[in-house]
Amino acid sequence: MVRKNLEKNICIVIPAFNEEVTIGNVITGLKKYFKKASYQYEIVVVNDGSKDHTRDVAKKQGATVIDHILNTGAGGATATGLSYAGQNGFDIAVTLDADGQHSAEDVLKGIHLSLSTKTDLLVGSRLINSKGMSKVKVIGNMGLSLITRILFGINVTDSQSGLRIFSRKALEQLRWETSGYEFCSEMLWRAKQMKLVIDEYPIEAIYTEYSRSKGQNNWNAVNIVKSLIKRRLTEMFE
Amino acid sequence: MRYAVLVILNIPIILLALFNIFTQYKLRNITKQRLQHQFTLWVLVFIVLVCSFPLYNYVSGKPLLDSAELSLFDIVQTTAIITIFYIINSQRQKIERTEKTIRDLHQELSIKLSEKKHDSTKN
Repeated sequence: MVRKNLEKNICIVIPAFNEEVTIGNVITGLKKYFKKASYQYEIVVVNDGSKDHTRDVAKKQGATVIDHILNTGAGGATATGLSYAGQNGFDIAVTLDADGQHSAEDVLKGIHLSLSTKTDLLVGSRLINSKGMSKVKVIGNMGLSLITRILFGINVTDSQSGLRIFSRKALEQLRWETSGYEFCSEMLWRAKQMKLVIDEYPIEAIYTEYSRSKGQNNWNAVNIVKSLIKRRLTEMFE
Repeated sequence: MRYAVLVILNIPIILLALFNIFTQYKLRNITKQRLQHQFTLWVLVFIVLVCSFPLYNYVSGKPLLDSAELSLFDIVQTTAIITIFYIINSQRQKIERTEKTIRDLHQELSIKLSEKKHDSTKN
């Protein structure tokens, strides 16, 4: 028997930039799983100034689309989606990547876990079990997690994961400054400053040729590190 | 004597910076934490300015305050460095505030416009 849980209102935020190829499948996959789980939910696609048909595809699949006038980066798009969730009184918000690397099953697993453990920020870690990930990506992500630990004192195995579950408290309190990929580490830092409960759980990463070509490479990691160091130093003088 | 000139020239800049920070705090433009950081920063600049020369003399084994006179260039250079530091610091803060305003504006505008579009589609 499917357990009804209609009292929880969930906002699924998908930041997307030029993702017309995958966004449709991501939305249909989520809908299929959420129908079974019987949660009240809304899928929100933040179209971050895409030049392709991301908006139309998402709209056709029944998602709410928020259009960014300018391309701001993953951090800016995520902030907009979570701000929408906060303003519209959702109990829980989930963020996931639009390239299809996260499974709907892991999203649901995270929501159940977040509700049962009362975690404010739950991070889906691809590195607890890194099967399916290329060695280069594993090393790059491990390096960034290590730097996040050194700079901000946060011990998570996958600081760059896009699959995150936020409690209502996190939605109300969590804000960050950076708008690129470095927001992933900064968000954890802000959560720590706000004394929010942070935890992680293992997820599986589904890599296709498409997501491999779209994802961050290790050169992006250099930019992320530069930006994080700058942010850390700037804050010392504020 | 010239060391005294250096200190006298730079103290107003430091006082101006402290006054500016305090005004910003009173106007609620900055948080208490930022006030504390900025205050500490400028007090440190003051301490370095006042203490560096006696400290140098002490470390190099000479009696305190007994050292060769500063050249006019030394005075101008140090004053310029402190002034530039003050300008850069305040400009950086202004830029960060503006960036945040633009980011928030863009975010809110995107949400409001999408809601408006959604409503008009419904109607």
